[in-house]
Amino acid sequence: MVKGRERCKTGIEGLDNILNGGIPRGNTVLITGSCGTGKTTLSLEFLVRGALRGERSMYISVTEAPEKLVENMTTYEFFDKRLIDEKKLILIDLQEIYVKLGLEKLEFTLEDVNILVSQITKMVKELGIRRLVIDSITSICYRLTSKEQIREFILHLGKELSDMGCTTLLVSELLPSAAGYSQYGVEEAIADGIILLGNLERRGDLLRTLQVIKMRGTTHSRAKYVLDLTPIGVLLAPMLKGGSVEVR
Amino acid sequence: MSVTSSIVDKLNELPPASSLALYVSLNTYFDALRAIVDIFATKNDLYVFYISSTIPSKNIVGLLEILGVDTSRVFFVDTISHLMASASETSDKYLYIESPTMLENTMLKIEYLLRKYRDKKAVVVLDSVNSMAIHNDLKILSEFLHIFVTSLRTWEAYMVILSMKEQNTPEIVNMLNLVCDDVFDAGGEGK
Repeated sequence: MVKGRERCKTGIEGLDNILNGGIPRGNTVLITGSCGTGKTTLSLEFLVRGALRGERSMYISVTEAPEKLVENMTTYEFFDKRLIDEKKLILIDLQEIYVKLGLEKLEFTLEDVNILVSQITKMVKELGIRRLVIDSITSICYRLTSKEQIREFILHLGKELSDMGCTTLLVSELLPSAAGYSQYGVEEAIADGIILLGNLERRGDLLRTLQVIKMRGTTHSRAKYVLDLTPIGVLLAPMLKGGSVEVR
Repeated sequence: MSVTSSIVDKLNELPPASSLALYVSLNTYFDALRAIVDIFATKNDLYVFYISSTIPSKNIVGLLEILGVDTSRVFFVDTISHLMASASETSDKYLYIESPTMLENTMLKIEYLLRKYRDKKAVVVLDSVNSMAIHNDLKILSEFLHIFVTSLRTWEAYMVILSMKEQNTPEIVNMLNLVCDDVFDAGGEGK
């Protein structure tokens, strides 16, 4: 019998069912979608559920202050602030890392990219992180000057994290009008998985949707699901088939 | 035998996780409410998760209170108040959906209640299939009911779909025959 890869259960029951048990451990997954589709909420739940299961989790934020994130998380009934106090859930402001590394500049060189990757992997290793979210990868890629750099950054980071058994979500911001699944077109090709969050317009209603486009190491549903963000977490229902126009 | 008693008897016959299409008329609507929400739910210690698409939830509470029914075990998924600009602050007691056409969201709100209030079993009431049919075409409504009824079985919840006899069409009757385990005509005029 072929033994399947170990799974990292997201703790979001509907998503784990779609993924046949969870994300293959060590995968680097792009969580992509336009604004207001639930990327940050889903990513935070992934971390909180992991921390509750005893997997130390880390959130690297580019856009939001950790204090604000904690405040937002208190609306979830499954969130326990002790996870933060006991450092089972660690929130980091990337700006502080930039300052520490002397990377407060608009454009990175390849050397800067390597320094940043080394710092992130060092933290993951030292702190024993099993789940990592970088929100957003787009903001980091914005400072990289070429697609080659972006490719190098994500490949290098993904490999290091995978070797340590760390399952990573890279949050990717998309414009509603964008073609493809990522801002620069490189991220989607390198990531082990793509989870696309979207807005779907149907007869004037705007539904939040989720679709797993690819996930290496597991079979999975590729169907579209409707998503609801509730105080007990992300809930998913199969999308009913009817005439619909997608606006992402 | 009164209409209320006959509905209660029918509900008591059902095994858990059953779905029932309940045909009522304007004359027997209140009897049905009393039978399901008051007598059946109380006797079996069930939560009532009430999907309102005909009358806003606050009005239904008013009606139930006039009937002397305890509404503490009733939770509403209200699909109509937003359309009438009468939705107030959301709470677990009153969960609002923007439109009766957001069928997946209706399922998700019921799932939310089922997950959150697991200490008791539940009866889910859809009031009514006719008003849902005003806003949705029958193809997507059939699909919704089929998936919904099937998913409720896994929660061992009862499902009662109210159908107003005066507003029924052969298509609605066929659809209910297809998706429900059982049907019951509570009397009164209409199909």
